Amino acid sequence: MINQRQILACTILITALACVPMVLDAETNYFVYYLFMAFTYAAMAQGFNIIAGYTGQVSLGQHAFFGLGAYVTVFAWEFAGLEYFNPLAMILSGLVPAILAILIGLPLLSKLRGDYFSLGTLGLGEILRVIFIQGRAVTGGSMGKYLPSGSYTSMLPYYFTALFLAVLATVIVYLIVRSRIGLALIAIREDETAAAANGIHVLLYKLFAFSTGAFITGLCGSLQAYYLFHIHPQNFFGLSWTLFPILMCVLGGSGTFAGPIIGALALSGVFELAKIWLPGIHPIISGTLIIIAILFLPDGLIRLKFKGIISKNRAGQT
Amino acid sequence: MFGFDSIDIFIQVLINGILFGTMYGIAALGLSLIFGTMQIIFIAQGVMIVLGAYGAFWLFNLLGVDPYLSIVIVVPGAMLFGAGVYQLLFRKISGRGEAGKAASLLLAFGLMSLLENLMTVLWTPNTRAIRTGYTAFGFDFLGINFSFTRLMAFIMAVAATILVTLFLKKTMLGKAVRAASENLESATLVGITPHKVNTITFAIGIGLAGLAGIATATTYSFDPYFGFIFSLKAMIALALGGMGSIFGALAGGILLGVIESIGAFIWTGGWADVLSYGVFLMVLLFKPEGLFTRTSINVVKP
Repeated sequence: MINQRQILACTILITALACVPMVLDAETNYFVYYLFMAFTYAAMAQGFNIIAGYTGQVSLGQHAFFGLGAYVTVFAWEFAGLEYFNPLAMILSGLVPAILAILIGLPLLSKLRGDYFSLGTLGLGEILRVIFIQGRAVTGGSMGKYLPSGSYTSMLPYYFTALFLAVLATVIVYLIVRSRIGLALIAIREDETAAAANGIHVLLYKLFAFSTGAFITGLCGSLQAYYLFHIHPQNFFGLSWTLFPILMCVLGGSGTFAGPIIGALALSGVFELAKIWLPGIHPIISGTLIIIAILFLPDGLIRLKFKGIISKNRAGQT
Repeated sequence: MFGFDSIDIFIQVLINGILFGTMYGIAALGLSLIFGTMQIIFIAQGVMIVLGAYGAFWLFNLLGVDPYLSIVIVVPGAMLFGAGVYQLLFRKISGRGEAGKAASLLLAFGLMSLLENLMTVLWTPNTRAIRTGYTAFGFDFLGINFSFTRLMAFIMAVAATILVTLFLKKTMLGKAVRAASENLESATLVGITPHKVNTITFAIGIGLAGLAGIATATTYSFDPYFGFIFSLKAMIALALGGMGSIFGALAGGILLGVIESIGAFIWTGGWADVLSYGVFLMVLLFKPEGLFTRTSINVVKP
């Protein structure tokens, strides 16, 4: 369990981050935008963390849930009148991808080994992208959809919602991992057959982890929809919405609470700086970084520096 | 029936699909070999194909080398590149068990992203195509039109499949590769070095990608982002045919080509993609061992 001091440190950190827009001008300062994107990525990386880092099932279809969440947000506004930043619309944008995750996970996770699951989820993202491109009037085709009304007023709601999502995702992961469910998930990751032999309903727990990850990812999609106002399939079903969170999770340290956050803060920084200084070639950097991270930092940044603390915590867990 | 005016048109669509699908077949063959020994799905295969296509394109445009002659340069080059990729990147993480498999999946993902964007920066995202004197050439046989370049792609695919089969069945190295994909631990016990076998399969797998690249470059236009779609298609072909089976990969590719061709004829092109992904998911769900294999794979039961 985390102790008093760690709770205090987390509270101070979150408060400090919440105070950033008061110190810096949120509308013009690039740093605020960087933090906004970093929080969104941190939440998505936690979504990947729960299914891949803790449960050991590498999902390559996170962009499917992201895009679906964004479209649900638009549809909720258009057809149900749930307007700008309506909490109900955002929850719905998380629930629909979560339900899809259960529907698609039920067959994919019950019969198939890991590789096939990765392939199937990758295929899912492509299917959704093509369906939304071909959806004509309903989905707006390849031009996508605009939010029915409203215009950009302030960066603040986006900033605080993104911060809230990152904290929410981390708390969800924390609560799951520190409960019986978390023990079951880790048991499945380490040895599926042994977990099943010990009475763990493998499929049920995998589905739970998969849909929780989809829920968080859908929420992030909803927030991006509110931010960009224009949703089009090539962007919102783009592979980078799967690629970047995976990269951040792995680079920071998958299977830890703080790893994805560290990875998201570090990599978003690299990406934003590369966008400014190396325009045009920054996607090359992300590919190179994945390779370097896998080869030289297989356990992530977090285990590089806090090796002692982590191994102590891990000993406590098992 | 389904808007086919006559049986001639149906056969024409079918032939186009078969010729089209062989390219998926060659790509899937490479994937199948790598999967056989290393148990990983090398999703950067499509990018390697595009790299091969660019190789043929630049050899033709800068040096005037005929695309079919460039096979002798592009394929050995691709094989060397494949061996290099294994030695530099995958050697370090192969043999780490389940964690290593997840890592190599991500590594292939990173390689794909890197090469895709490198090609975009170096050679611009413009669509390219090789235009030779025979690109538009075709001939009629029994009322069916055969495109010369597509027919060449088909011949190349069949020849490659036969060569790979001969290599696996007749040579000592090929037997080592087969032994390693049957049971790696036992193969190691009888003196087969896993790294050596893996290097060979990577070399052949990427060499086949280079061949598929030449076939692509002569038949279609391509751009740096073509690779991901091609990887997906090769994976679908692999899933249809059954992982680890040589002729299954080719058959799966041809089947996918036929499905797409007929789908594109009945509906518009975009929906044909939904059809092929749908078939892919269905096969994954109901017959994950593939359509053309008899032995069932070891699926994990909950």
